[in-house]
Amino acid sequence: MFVSGNVIFEQVLNGLTLGGIYALIALGYTMVYGVLRMINFAHSELFMLGAVGGWGLLALWPGGATLGGICVIFFVAMVGSGLLALFLNRVAYAPLRGSPRLTPLLSAIGASLFLQNVVFLWRDSQLAFPPLFVSGHFHVGHLDVSFLQTFIILISIFLMVNLTLFIRKTRLGKAMRAVSQDAETAELMGIPVHRVVALTFFIGGALGGAAGVLNGLYYGSVKYNMGFAPGIKAFTSAVLGGIGSVPGAMLGGFLLGLLESLGAGFLPKPEWKDVFAFVVLIIVLLFRPAGLLGKNRAEKV
Amino acid sequence: MRKFTLSLLAIGLLTSCQRGPREVKIAIAEPLTGDIAALGQGLKRAAVLAIEEANASGRFPEFKLRAVEFDDRSDPKEAVNVANRIVSNPDIVAVVGHFNSGCSIPASAVYARAGLPMMNAGSSSPQLTLQQLSSHWTGPRNIFRVNTTDDAQGLFAAEFAAHSLKIKTVAILHDKTAYGQGIADVFQEKFKELGGTVLSFDGVQTGDKDFKALVTRIKPLGPELLYFGGTYTEGGLILRQAREAGLQAPYLTGEISYDPDFLRIAGGAAEGAFVTYLGRPPELLDTAKLFIEKYRLAYPGSEVKAYDHYAYEVTNILLSAMEKVGPDKAKIIDALRTLTYEGVLGTTSFDEKGDTFNKTITLFVVKDGKFVPHE
Repeated sequence: MFVSGNVIFEQVLNGLTLGGIYALIALGYTMVYGVLRMINFAHSELFMLGAVGGWGLLALWPGGATLGGICVIFFVAMVGSGLLALFLNRVAYAPLRGSPRLTPLLSAIGASLFLQNVVFLWRDSQLAFPPLFVSGHFHVGHLDVSFLQTFIILISIFLMVNLTLFIRKTRLGKAMRAVSQDAETAELMGIPVHRVVALTFFIGGALGGAAGVLNGLYYGSVKYNMGFAPGIKAFTSAVLGGIGSVPGAMLGGFLLGLLESLGAGFLPKPEWKDVFAFVVLIIVLLFRPAGLLGKNRAEKV
Repeated sequence: MRKFTLSLLAIGLLTSCQRGPREVKIAIAEPLTGDIAALGQGLKRAAVLAIEEANASGRFPEFKLRAVEFDDRSDPKEAVNVANRIVSNPDIVAVVGHFNSGCSIPASAVYARAGLPMMNAGSSSPQLTLQQLSSHWTGPRNIFRVNTTDDAQGLFAAEFAAHSLKIKTVAILHDKTAYGQGIADVFQEKFKELGGTVLSFDGVQTGDKDFKALVTRIKPLGPELLYFGGTYTEGGLILRQAREAGLQAPYLTGEISYDPDFLRIAGGAAEGAFVTYLGRPPELLDTAKLFIEKYRLAYPGSEVKAYDHYAYEVTNILLSAMEKVGPDKAKIIDALRTLTYEGVLGTTSFDEKGDTFNKTITLFVVKDGKFVPHE
């Protein structure tokens, strides 16, 4: 099959857009896992609530949001999802600290079902997400580049850069790294572990909320059960990159997005894209069981 | 613990002896949650409406009808679970359901073994009723449905594309379900027979949201038409993303997209999309005016969905058979075979497979964000 450079470029752009959204969600899974060694399966609902909340706010700009409007929506969706993550931590996870590992997992699944059904009772159909303030394409040489895709990629990279700076350069970031290395020792050194855990939930939730708004803008509609599929994909990205590793989640997200879109674009049958992505995942895990950037740590006994 | 269970059992027995007029139960098995919950809830509301009207009218002096709701979540496995629960309840004399062909077909085998009449509104795979003619079919021919099927719809769509739109090349997509792939297959076969070329025939995963890579791949093939077999959840996104990727070919799809959700998902991209519809929708039927009024009165704030009149009709057909022969499963099935019913859909009677003789297809085009009949 003849493949032009343009098509390859467009597929890479498709992959990066998808990957940016996956990566933002994956960060929530990986950060919580980093500090608590727990998979927050309700995380995909924070993503959904960010999107549905964003939809509710967009009603304030019936003709499509302005730049200022988009900023407000991002801010509210992120803070809202972040606070909800804090609340989840407080009611569903914190009371179970110290219990066997499976208990908070079940609690997470329960919380996820609960949140989905609350939204279902409120709105059970598709909710149309108004478009971004710019639409269409711009041209770079021969290439067609979509404004919306560029916007999504830039926003996700912007958030990831800020997160990295926060973790690397601030005292709180240092505390977070310390807790993720060894919570007990960190506590002995005077680090308020519970507060750091709460902060981690907040940041993870906020990134999930931002991903929800981006997802709404990209696909144009949101729904109460929209979290499931991207949640699974993002969790896969986190595992691919190395669960617990922040740069790993970013790498894993972009990689999975690219694998899917190049798979759908160039494999003999586009249906094989998921098979292709998961075969790559399995191969990576065969050679690097901890994921691409994950560290093998000795199990504490 | 055992004492407690025993006493519960005793209470159960007592209450079941105590109740006044005999209760006859009708199961309603639809996707009440899940991706197309909005449609399933509508079907349920319409069926319940028919049952409550019958109770209020005093048509059945000897017993009281009760609707029992079951949720198959659009999941074939769950549909079989639900079917087993339904046939294990001796009070249930018939089932109204299921919606998805992929659910109806496996569940129908369970109902057939139990000899339970299956009243279907909305499944459009020809296979559902056809399977009863096979020698493997155990039980009576118990399936009756009031809507026409995908073979009629797929043929209609292919003829419309080839003759009216004068299309030569098409890219076909489907969602790999019994419904979606079924209708896409019929379309493909007929379109080729009419001299058209099928450039691609690809399946998508239900639940997937990103089809950008797929439409980017299809665009260079330069199809004159996009045909999609599947629900609006995927179809609306495919159409929207195709337009975003610069693929401007006309879009043609099946009846399930005749739904406001399709317009919401596809947004502005829905403009000009063609949708074939099985039969005629309630708002275009003079005979359905009264139904729409009653529905709105009973459920203020709920829109009448595209299949609700089918569920209402099929429930009423069941009731009218029951009125003649009483709440007996085998007798109901026999009565349905020869019944002629005048109702919301006009005149309905069933052929030897249990399919309606009414095979109308209506074609819609989206104009200014609304479905307009296309003549």
